[in-house]
Amino acid sequence: MTDLMPMTALGADTARYVQFGCLSLRENDGLALASLALRAGFAVPAPMGLVLPGVGGWVAHQGLAAFWTGPGQWMIEAEGRAQDDFATEMRAAAPGCLVTEQTDGFVCFEMTSNAGAMPLLRLLEKLVNVDLAVFITGRVTRTSFDHMPVFVIRRADGQLAVLGMRSAAGSLWHALETAAARVGVKGGMAGC
Amino acid sequence: MTRLSGGLIDRATPLNFTFDGKAYPGFQGDTVASALLANDVRLMGRSFKYHRPRGVIAAGSEEPNALIALGRGAWREPNTRATVAELFDGLEAMSQNRIGSLKFDLLAVNDLAAPFFAAGFYYKTFMWPKAFWERLYEPLIRRAAGLGRLSMLPDPDAYDKGFLHCDLLIVGGGPSGLAAALTAARAGARVILADEDFRLGGRLLAETHGLNDAPAQDWIAALEAEFASLPNLRVLRRTTVFGAFDHGIYGAVERVSDHLATPGQAVRQTLWRISAKRTVLAAGATERHIPFANNDRPGIMLAGALRAYANRWAACPGTRVAIFANSDDGHRTALDLLAKGVEVVGVIDPRPEAKPLGAYPVFAGAVVTGSKGRLGLRAIEISRGGQNQWIACDVLGVSGGWNPNVHLAAHHRGRPVWSDDLHSFVPPQDLPFGMRVSGAAQGVFSTQGALQTGAEMAAAALADLGLSAKLAGLPRAEDAAVSLYPLWHVAGKARAWVDFQNDVTVKDIALAHQENMRPVEHLKRWTTLGMATDQGKTANVTAIAVMAELSGKVIAETGTTIFRPPYTGVALGALGGGDTGTHFRPRRLTPTHAWAQGQGAVFVEVGPWMRAQYFPRAGETGWRQSVDREVLATRAGVGLCDVTSLGKIDVQGADAGAFLDRIYANAMASLKVGMVRYGLMLREDGQAFDDGTCARLGADHYVVTTTTAQAGPVYRHMEFARQCLWPELDVQLISTTDAWAQISVAGPKARRLLERVVDGFDLSNEAFPFMACATLTVCNGLRARLFRISFSGELAYEIAVPARFGAALMARMLERGADLGATPYGTEALGVLRIEKGHAAGNELNGQTTAQMLGMGKMVSVKKDSIGAVMSRREGLRADARVMVGLMPAEAGAPLLAGMHLFAEGAAQVTQNDQGWVTSACYSPHLKSPIALAFLERGSERMGEVLIGANPLQGQNARLCVVSPHFVDPEGERVRD
Repeated sequence: MTDLMPMTALGADTARYVQFGCLSLRENDGLALASLALRAGFAVPAPMGLVLPGVGGWVAHQGLAAFWTGPGQWMIEAEGRAQDDFATEMRAAAPGCLVTEQTDGFVCFEMTSNAGAMPLLRLLEKLVNVDLAVFITGRVTRTSFDHMPVFVIRRADGQLAVLGMRSAAGSLWHALETAAARVGVKGGMAGC
Repeated sequence: MTRLSGGLIDRATPLNFTFDGKAYPGFQGDTVASALLANDVRLMGRSFKYHRPRGVIAAGSEEPNALIALGRGAWREPNTRATVAELFDGLEAMSQNRIGSLKFDLLAVNDLAAPFFAAGFYYKTFMWPKAFWERLYEPLIRRAAGLGRLSMLPDPDAYDKGFLHCDLLIVGGGPSGLAAALTAARAGARVILADEDFRLGGRLLAETHGLNDAPAQDWIAALEAEFASLPNLRVLRRTTVFGAFDHGIYGAVERVSDHLATPGQAVRQTLWRISAKRTVLAAGATERHIPFANNDRPGIMLAGALRAYANRWAACPGTRVAIFANSDDGHRTALDLLAKGVEVVGVIDPRPEAKPLGAYPVFAGAVVTGSKGRLGLRAIEISRGGQNQWIACDVLGVSGGWNPNVHLAAHHRGRPVWSDDLHSFVPPQDLPFGMRVSGAAQGVFSTQGALQTGAEMAAAALADLGLSAKLAGLPRAEDAAVSLYPLWHVAGKARAWVDFQNDVTVKDIALAHQENMRPVEHLKRWTTLGMATDQGKTANVTAIAVMAELSGKVIAETGTTIFRPPYTGVALGALGGGDTGTHFRPRRLTPTHAWAQGQGAVFVEVGPWMRAQYFPRAGETGWRQSVDREVLATRAGVGLCDVTSLGKIDVQGADAGAFLDRIYANAMASLKVGMVRYGLMLREDGQAFDDGTCARLGADHYVVTTTTAQAGPVYRHMEFARQCLWPELDVQLISTTDAWAQISVAGPKARRLLERVVDGFDLSNEAFPFMACATLTVCNGLRARLFRISFSGELAYEIAVPARFGAALMARMLERGADLGATPYGTEALGVLRIEKGHAAGNELNGQTTAQMLGMGKMVSVKKDSIGAVMSRREGLRADARVMVGLMPAEAGAPLLAGMHLFAEGAAQVTQNDQGWVTSACYSPHLKSPIALAFLERGSERMGEVLIGANPLQGQNARLCVVSPHFVDPEGERVRD
């Protein structure tokens, strides 16, 4: 175990958290990420029991999750394992696949509503151009938010994750915080 | 005070506001215009060119005259239409475009000089003397142009943006839009109903005829209750759909808090981008006026607007009202005003057969030919059968028919179609995809027709989507046919205004015709008709009709201008939609950013990145001192620099080497595992694209690095090649730029420092030579990557660890290397080090240079093909004799600046004699002299030659000596130490 102390993407010792009415915004500093791509001619694997999802899909299974990022490409998430060499484990679990460590390639912000889906939907429509009718639990989209490339995952009715460039974490947090504050605190339409 | 009975204002909520500093009362539900009219204020502004006194003429967003400035200080919003500005307590409004008071505007003198200000006068007037143009005419014109004035302060409001999706977007909340919404929402479709007004109902709010023999308000109230219970229907009030864009996307601005007294932290406006599968345009119609002599006096307004003020806002701008109308629509106004107890002195109707519909006189077969009243209407002149007479009145309602609001229907360049039956333009055949038009916007002017077509269009739109909709049960409503006598203007000698806001008269149109400005587009630009903030909503069709009359053509042949977004003005703040300060654009921070801040670093923007530029220390009084110290410390001991921002691309797959062979000009497939090679990429046209290193970590695993500036473009270029050019190759790419913190460790003591952090890794020259790479662990087990590469020309490494550990590793190395003189350095020192070494960077790889110019011509392999290789051999590039050289001042103290152009001594400094240019320059603390890199014609043959470096912008000339670009360690021994 290294004796170096890690720093969060937002430049602190501990992950940031803020609450606006029924909406909370949390920096998920423990999420390990590894990209997985199929080699030509290989079948889609099921690494560590994960059934890799199809286009625009996200699945979770026993602390792991995977989302589709492109043809023959996925991102694997492992909750609470950011400091491990998760990519090496994944490489072993997915023979025939090309795996790249991405844990610190991204920052992950989790947005949760404790008042059901509606506040989150009101927030989402201020964030990214997705059709809320089809962006249901288990869907992911790669899109642009405030001029930044992001993945947005609908983890549950009341939970969203936004994954963006780690280096732009501050800008991303600012934009999310601003939007959440407007929806969560004012809350007229959100019902917070 | 002329506040009438009834209306839809909330008399239980009185409000106070000021206009030009004077206090007035109003009620909740008023607009500024309705409240002013109710307070007998008819004079609200001055016209653009002649500064004629003007009052409100409309009751909606088409208003050309009543433009006011709202708010004070930074919140001042000029050119706001008083007709759509909702009243709130404490509102402050000011008139504009005047010198002096509104009543005594000194610039009204312009009106006396009107003969000199005819259409197009400025194209002819300011020709002579030529010298006056820049110094006198242009400043004067600029000063005179425009109506309101900006506050010139930063916009203090917050703006928001958002995205909505729906099956059906309904534009307009009048009877047609409401019927469409009801039909579609009951069918379960996802519906958005947007209306620019703050109340639903549209024209129903302004009329007295009922629905199902009950007040229309009852039906609207019931509808609103039902709407609230339908989760699939979203009603956007105060929302103007201002443009129809591609792929069913509509732009809309929601005025979230413009109607609130305290802006506070609330968002002022939200810009919505609405993706609609289908659209029903139910935008209603705009009434047109009939130009006659002096038809612009306060008190002369559209008859429909007069009716709206009376019925909705219980306001009437006077006590003796006349109506000038060419259809029964104007008679409705007379009836409604009579019902409110207002005296109607008569309806002037050009139709010979016109009959009164109530107890008021009708002047059948008559027209209005003039008016009196300096600041407000006092009397009108009417002409009937060659007999003229004056009638005293203080209000005149004018109705020349209605123009369907076809704007959004024509935003995709469709041309509206003239209807001889309706005497109006109706929507084009080639509508934006998925759009249908209903109600008055379609040319169906009765309320029953509006309701019916709204429901039908919604059902048809849903049918397209495979949804079945039952037509909503609609109320009975008036269903009168339109009987209109076309009358486009009343001929006369005096000026008759067509476009009120831009002061364009019938005479101006005649002059345009005389000057052969006959196509409608020429008419528009020559006269400025329709080019004001209202975009000619009340003027354009009338102008086309007048032009048709003058040219002897029918209106259908005369044509229309193009309709473009926005339908009404949109604040730039809303279009910008967000932050204007620090967060105006995303910023990327390096993993050591917070640490560098703690060290007092000065930062510099490098594209989106913020990078430490230098690290000042106590006692240093200028940046040069800090940079010189950092450079010398690096060359003497060891320097540390965060180079994370350089792009990193993971390339994996069985064909990774073959792929990179095609991407790079030089070979990469032959690179041994565990080694790094410098690589050069060319563009398709053979010019240099980017350079960097390529490390081979495994048999099928490479890591490509790019320059900071080209990280994105190179990744995009490689993805394009992978996906589109060679999809058959087994190769995958992914960016890892952010994943790894990468720190340059440079200087003769770099190895000694690294030995103190790696976990038992052999760094000896034999085990880990120059251009080696490896994966390893550092600081007790942290996974890392190490590359022995050098940008400074010193013994150097780049070490990469997961980004979250970057700051800690930097701090650890500085701590462990204190006795070695370990020093952090920033981008300035980085630049000095690489110029001293003669390494090309962004200044040299500027998109206009070739491998040959960079001294890398031989790197373009002839043994394989690669992107740009063939084109790099074309004659034009191969014959380019400019090559990179070094420069030093021939005499101490001579300036040496990047951007200087090089000339032979004594040669005229003209393009034909240009020998090259200076790309990068710095002060070298190592040489104690300014040095530079440059591209110079036949440079390699000219060592020792003295040239002139010219900076014509600042009148500088310096004698410069051509030297090798490698100022430090030209043999390259240090990197191999």
